[in-house]
Amino acid sequence: MRPPETRHSLIVRLKDQRNNLAWTEFLCVYEPFLLRLVRKQGTPERHVADVSQQLLIAIAKSVDGWVPDGKSASFRRWLGCVARNVVIKFMMRERKQITGQGGSDFLNLLEGLTDASINAEQFKQYEQELILWAAEQVRGEFRENSWRAFWETQVEGRSVADVAAELGVKTGAVYMSRSRVFARIRNRIEEVLDDEVT
Amino acid sequence: MKCNPTLLQRSLDESLSEAEEESLSAHLCECDACQRELERLAGQPAAWNRVGTTLKAADHSSVGVEHSVDHETASDFAVECLEPSTSSEYIGRLGDIEIQEVIGHGGMGVVLKGYQPELKRLVAVKVLAPQLAVSAAARKRFAREAQATAAILHPNVMPILTVHSSGKLPFIVMPYVACESLQQRLDRLGSLELIDVLRIGMQTANGLAAAHAQGLVHRDVKPANILLEISVEKVMLTDFGLARAMDDASITRTGIIAGTPLYMSPEQARGEPVDARSDLFSLGTVLYTLATGRTPFRAESTYGILRRLTDESPRPLREISPQFPAWFQMIVYKLLAKSPGDRFASATEVAQLLEGCLAHVQQPATVPLPKECPVVPTRLFSLRRWLLVIGMCVLAGVVGMSLFSKKPVTIEPPSSGEPTVISTETSASWDAGEEIVSPLRSDFNKWQKDAEKLWEEPLP
Repeated sequence: MRPPETRHSLIVRLKDQRNNLAWTEFLCVYEPFLLRLVRKQGTPERHVADVSQQLLIAIAKSVDGWVPDGKSASFRRWLGCVARNVVIKFMMRERKQITGQGGSDFLNLLEGLTDASINAEQFKQYEQELILWAAEQVRGEFRENSWRAFWETQVEGRSVADVAAELGVKTGAVYMSRSRVFARIRNRIEEVLDDEVT
Repeated sequence: MKCNPTLLQRSLDESLSEAEEESLSAHLCECDACQRELERLAGQPAAWNRVGTTLKAADHSSVGVEHSVDHETASDFAVECLEPSTSSEYIGRLGDIEIQEVIGHGGMGVVLKGYQPELKRLVAVKVLAPQLAVSAAARKRFAREAQATAAILHPNVMPILTVHSSGKLPFIVMPYVACESLQQRLDRLGSLELIDVLRIGMQTANGLAAAHAQGLVHRDVKPANILLEISVEKVMLTDFGLARAMDDASITRTGIIAGTPLYMSPEQARGEPVDARSDLFSLGTVLYTLATGRTPFRAESTYGILRRLTDESPRPLREISPQFPAWFQMIVYKLLAKSPGDRFASATEVAQLLEGCLAHVQQPATVPLPKECPVVPTRLFSLRRWLLVIGMCVLAGVVGMSLFSKKPVTIEPPSSGEPTVISTETSASWDAGEEIVSPLRSDFNKWQKDAEKLWEEPLP
């Protein structure tokens, strides 16, 4: 599903931080990614929920400072940026500091890092995490054969003709499936990142 | 087929009809230019490469072809979470229940077969998956299922004996019934006979009516949630995990699509508020599936399915299963109406209708078909003929007029409403269809109205 359009009225309501539609919609997309990432960063399983929650609070707090500037930059794009910065800061922390202690100390640690300290390498790492997550999500949406048409040709680098023969379909069907799967992965990433993945 | 960029884009959006899909697929086998264009529309070459290399470098087990399914570990999880049993006959203990085996698993957790020694009875225990038990939302949903189901007492609804919602792992205790799910039966038999479809449909509708009477919408009516008690042919509706009070406005829109796409109603797919009639749509998809052995809305992905079920008519049921009578097809189509207002008014009405139909099928000589059955459009042919005749007359006029003007001729009805645009092209294509063009009753009604409107118009 394409993400719903961000509506101004919802953004205003978001400011009071109580649960509301815009936030929920963002959460639906972002929380699964966040949980996976927090787990992958070596957070002990019993702390995963806590740490994710702290990150979400950090994101929600920053969102509160947003003022619509009337420009074309969408709220969602902005939310995506805030989330990205918070998460990259989190990824940069030493493993030993990742605990479920939470609270204001945790938020302070995050705030101690400025945006300037985020470099291209870190951004790339974040994007890679997003790609993996998006692929996982999209994989479940497609039939097994469609996924294989994509995986075997694009990831394993096999020829379309080979894969078509193996799956017992026409090459045309493989072209269609692989492009569909890829387009969905791209959409998924853009729902969060909102920059063209180029 | 010629190269068509629009079709390529629509293929990515999964908005092609089955026929378009086939012809584009055939074209793509031949046309290099379209192969490249389709890839370009899906994303820039650099993006293709980045995704490809990232996935290649990643741990294949998580996203690769050999995808490990959670189910494989579900039983281990459950076993790990049980207390040791005092007897070696059992694999463990949960409260006062001795657990014999794992009998199933779903999205929410595992189902265990257990024995309560004090009550000397077999029970089925549904345990919330440990990884979900840490989530407040999942626990809430689990508790809601228990409360919702406990409120319904009906022979066609699986009852709940007890609920333990506060412990480390919440669980629900139900009677143990030797049964198979309708999904299992479908997998075994492919499709079912009319008489069985009617019987199962009637009982499911009765179970739904009981839920609706309590103000609950099931929201996940599908073959896997309909159990068939072995030997007595009794149907039991189960898994109210997504059930929701109809008046519960607080969580009407969360952006999460709850339900199983293949059996969802269009309003559910759009994330709109649903009422009892949403379950009737799902019942329609179940009946269609039982009769044909395939779900009515099929596509390559979840998104494609959702789009089909909001926008398209399914392939005519009788085209796949000609042995089913036309009146049965009409009942299914009425259940599958896109707009809830065009469906039956209630599950009770559906249950009564199916009961009447069942009696008719069992004794066709003495029991007539219920008169509440949706009308089979036998007049469709004659109506089409009439439309054709009118079309020809209009066409004759239009052709005459178009000698002076290239524009389509618009006939404004005297009252307000949509203008009826008749162009030379569309008039000609009226004749294109061989069989019934549109199976939906609502479409048929619209036709009827359009036809009546035409009668009111003076011919040019």
